[in-house]
Amino acid sequence: MVQSIVSTGVAIGCIYALIGITYNVMFSASRVFSFTAGTLGMLGGVLGSLFIARLGMPVAVGFLLALAGGVILGIVTEIVAVRPVLKSLDQHLYVLSTLALALMVQQFTAIEWGTEARPFPRLFDIARGGFDQQFWLPMLACASVIVGLELLYRHTLIGRAFLAIAEDTYAARALGLPERRLRMLSYALAGAIGALAGFAGGEMLLAFFGNGPMLTFYGFVPVALGGMGNNRGAVVAGLLLGLFQQTANFLVGGIFASVAVFTVFIIVLLARPEGLAGAALQRRV
Amino acid sequence: MAQVRPSRAGALGATSTFGVALPFLALLVIGIAFPLFGGGYWGVIATRACVYWVLVSGLNLVVGFAGQIAIGWVALLTLGAYTTSVLVAGNVTPALPPYLALAIAAVVGAIFGLIVGLPALRLRTFYFAITTLGFATIVTQVALAWQSVTGGGVGVAGPIFPKPFDSQWGFYYFCFGLAAICTWMTANIAASRFGRALTAIRDAEVAAEACGIAKPALLVLVFLFSGAVAAIAGGLFASLQSYITPDAFTLDLSVLFFIAILIGGRSSILGPLLGTILLTVLPEFAAPLVAWSTFLYAVLLLVIVLAMPGGIAELLDFKNRRPLESGRAIVPRPELLARLLTAPAGAGAGALTLEQVALAFGGVHAIDGLDLEIRSGQIHGLIGPNGSGKTTTLNVISGYYAQQSGAVRLNGAALPVLARHRRAHMRIARTFQTPRIVGSASVLQNVMIGGTIDGECTFVESLLSLPRHRRDEVLLRDTAMLALAAVGLERLAAVRADRLQHSELRFTEIARALMLRPAFLLLDEPAAGLSAEEIGRLGALVVAIARAGTGVLLVEHHADLIFDICHHVTVLNLGKNLAAGTPAEIRSHREVVNAYLGG
Amino acid sequence: MPISAADPLLDIAGLSSGYGKIGVLHGVNLTIGAGEVVALLGPNGAGKTTLLRAVSGLLPWSGSVRFAGRDLAGASPRDIVKAGLAHVVEGHRVFTQLAVLDNLLLAAYDLPRGERTARVEEALGLFPEIAAKRHERAAALSGGQQQILAVAQGLVRRPRLLMLDEPSAGLSPVLVDRVLVVVRRLREAGTAVLLVEQLIEKALALADRVYALARGAIVLEAKTGEADLPHRLEHAYLATASR
Repeated sequence: MVQSIVSTGVAIGCIYALIGITYNVMFSASRVFSFTAGTLGMLGGVLGSLFIARLGMPVAVGFLLALAGGVILGIVTEIVAVRPVLKSLDQHLYVLSTLALALMVQQFTAIEWGTEARPFPRLFDIARGGFDQQFWLPMLACASVIVGLELLYRHTLIGRAFLAIAEDTYAARALGLPERRLRMLSYALAGAIGALAGFAGGEMLLAFFGNGPMLTFYGFVPVALGGMGNNRGAVVAGLLLGLFQQTANFLVGGIFASVAVFTVFIIVLLARPEGLAGAALQRRV
Repeated sequence: MAQVRPSRAGALGATSTFGVALPFLALLVIGIAFPLFGGGYWGVIATRACVYWVLVSGLNLVVGFAGQIAIGWVALLTLGAYTTSVLVAGNVTPALPPYLALAIAAVVGAIFGLIVGLPALRLRTFYFAITTLGFATIVTQVALAWQSVTGGGVGVAGPIFPKPFDSQWGFYYFCFGLAAICTWMTANIAASRFGRALTAIRDAEVAAEACGIAKPALLVLVFLFSGAVAAIAGGLFASLQSYITPDAFTLDLSVLFFIAILIGGRSSILGPLLGTILLTVLPEFAAPLVAWSTFLYAVLLLVIVLAMPGGIAELLDFKNRRPLESGRAIVPRPELLARLLTAPAGAGAGALTLEQVALAFGGVHAIDGLDLEIRSGQIHGLIGPNGSGKTTTLNVISGYYAQQSGAVRLNGAALPVLARHRRAHMRIARTFQTPRIVGSASVLQNVMIGGTIDGECTFVESLLSLPRHRRDEVLLRDTAMLALAAVGLERLAAVRADRLQHSELRFTEIARALMLRPAFLLLDEPAAGLSAEEIGRLGALVVAIARAGTGVLLVEHHADLIFDICHHVTVLNLGKNLAAGTPAEIRSHREVVNAYLGG
Repeated sequence: MPISAADPLLDIAGLSSGYGKIGVLHGVNLTIGAGEVVALLGPNGAGKTTLLRAVSGLLPWSGSVRFAGRDLAGASPRDIVKAGLAHVVEGHRVFTQLAVLDNLLLAAYDLPRGERTARVEEALGLFPEIAAKRHERAAALSGGQQQILAVAQGLVRRPRLLMLDEPSAGLSPVLVDRVLVVVRRLREAGTAVLLVEQLIEKALALADRVYALARGAIVLEAKTGEADLPHRLEHAYLATASR
């Protein structure tokens, strides 16, 4: 029993953490949050099921195509919903434009894919049971992304350019860095991460259009609690969230578990609006 | 003596009031006559539009006016629907009459509106939006789980209202009546100091604080009202549906309400009203597209946000399409200031003093042991190189920063630190380096915001347009027109503020500050961006303000303006008082010249 | 198109710029010849930083700006850096989360890798005090060292014109002299410099020519050798505007 709670909790916590990282990567590049982060997770699962289960493609191909779908949505988000808004005087418009885009994608999915949750294919032909792939796939995905991002930021020039843009856009522009292109690439990267989260978690969450709003909310909790732009905080908070949710599920049942999560979230946020760890990068005054 | 032409303002008021009321009257007539030409099916649609509008009218104050992104307001519809239905059905409590149940639902809605809304006071925009979404999901899930009360997935029957509202058209008129009342009430609020204060919080929060507007109190009122009407809409919705289950309250519905307001345009009643009607009716016309309705709403929202953030209200704003005359000049009439700046009884000569005030940011001493005295009726100039602490000093006096040592005193009594919205009550007014105004409101409305704290009527009196509210409005409007005439902008009173030139916005801010009849006026670099001629007029205006008894602190870069009009000048350098004296003394002071030129 | 000896490297005519509705610069005229050091002086709020931002493409502007014979209208900051014009912004804004070496590598972002490392080494060679800290995060440097790093960033691309916005701000006199020694060496190497400074005497000691900007327009242009210059400057700064 405990083992089940822990493995489910950590697995789903990894998915939440990955969506949190998706939010953070977009935020680092543009200083705004996008509602499409949860939608990306949903798409990862739906596209994976579409390509592999319904169209019968090999797993690797379906995986790459699902990631490609995420990259496309990420880039579209930047071009359509974020770039025009950053230029205008009213910064808060980004909430509405990204909400509109997320809704459009979600509704389109509901209409074309259907409103029922469809099963996600089994990726590796191993028998069920024990520490099953539906648990370790999300964990593997999360660990890979953490390692990958670390390598990117520390050992590639473009990764360091991302960090520069995140810290001080004005100085980056003056230095001649291609700020717009870097932002678009950040959003593409975020798109891939979000789709990966949904794909890796597909068996647990199923290919369901309703995962969008659910991941939008639960994926944001790690950001809020871990601190804006703070990926490490997001991972820790995501894992804690997953474990808390599964424990509550076990103790009081599904519905009241949601209430419990939400209540704790609100209370923590009201007590510490900056999150438990605080924002990773202080904006230059 | 020159008169402000009240007849002109009055005539402007009369014709524009009728113009504003016309679309509402037209909708009223159409609504009353509707049963004559609409069939049974359209009756349901029309009733549904009325029910939605009851909710949206209240949410409009939260989203459209206060600018809070409350996406999950369907939670209150759910609460109202279930509360009313359960109380009438009598399976938990003894069965109650429907009107009483509706009233109780309104109270429950008000309380939960407050609960859902309060995080807005602490959280950033996106965070608040997410929490309202979470709340909406929770309420629906609780409705599903709490089977003993709500019937779980099976649901519960909606209330039936007694005669004459039990027939289809009877119920339609009931909902229509409530919708009309909600329209009237929210329109009253929009045209009151509360409505203007809400837009000030949304678009110019810092300036709103300086005008004495307390954000928490105002938002509490709005959330209570909005929650109550949303719950009432819920009760009506339950009756309309005849039977409610948790899956009637989808996120799609919440999104519809929210988008209706944004399509309609912020700070408008008519816009969201038309938006609600549009979004309720649209799926019916596009029958094969019913499944795509939410998709279409989202597309509409995206288009509005990117192409026309002002929404339908902006489309209908014909008044502000007319070109403004070019080559406008701002010609203040300082002689009007005597009428405007009548000090309250007992206010004599006083002083605003800083004693050894010190404030450091990190290791940097922004202000380092500063002494300063601003006397009534005198203009005190504060100059110094960049980083010398001029604006920091002004921010400490106006309560935006707290000094770490030393005292700021008004007539001897120490001012409370960081109480920036209390400064207005002490008749300390200020302007800002970059004009902070509500772009979508008219110049007159912006100036009226300055007089918010002088209003006497309560929120409820405004809601119901009781006599004290109307008296307040007339007085406020007249005073604001006088202030605009004094600074020379009365011809632009009805123009949207974001159409004005930078220099005109500066003078608008001054007019707004004058509404407080300030004992002390703090001006933050008012001459920046003004032409030489405008600077001259500004100088004359400030001299007249001082002559009327106000003490002025003038923070400036333009040395010539300072030397022209100030009685007394303090020069700051690195947070310390470098020199103080009359303009003539400062002008020839060797160290001052060096400080300016560096070295 | 080859530039004849008479054509200035930077030619600004009738430049107007500002922030949104607030107009700051009103018809500025200024030229800089190849290899010249020009000082831009003026009281605060005059528009000196705005002028630099307009020229380097960070702000929209109207008028005419020509650099090395090329019209800069509509050019992005990236294009302008590539054309050989570097802008070291005010306030020693370096990327504190990155190492000194990374800060310099980013300044050479567009160059091929081999050339990039060579140029970065070159820049570090000019400033031994930060070369010693090349692997430390920029946050660990003092304010003065960060300013030197910022100047080094500007030099990585071997610009033809380097614009420095108040490099002495917040620096101790020793470090100020360090930076200005580098400026002198730049002039000897043929790089033109536009130096915005508050320390008038030091700026005049270094510059070939000086402009004074007040209330958004040029009020004085002179060679630094001219007599009576300090008095004329004082007059330009504090005099009442001609009405």
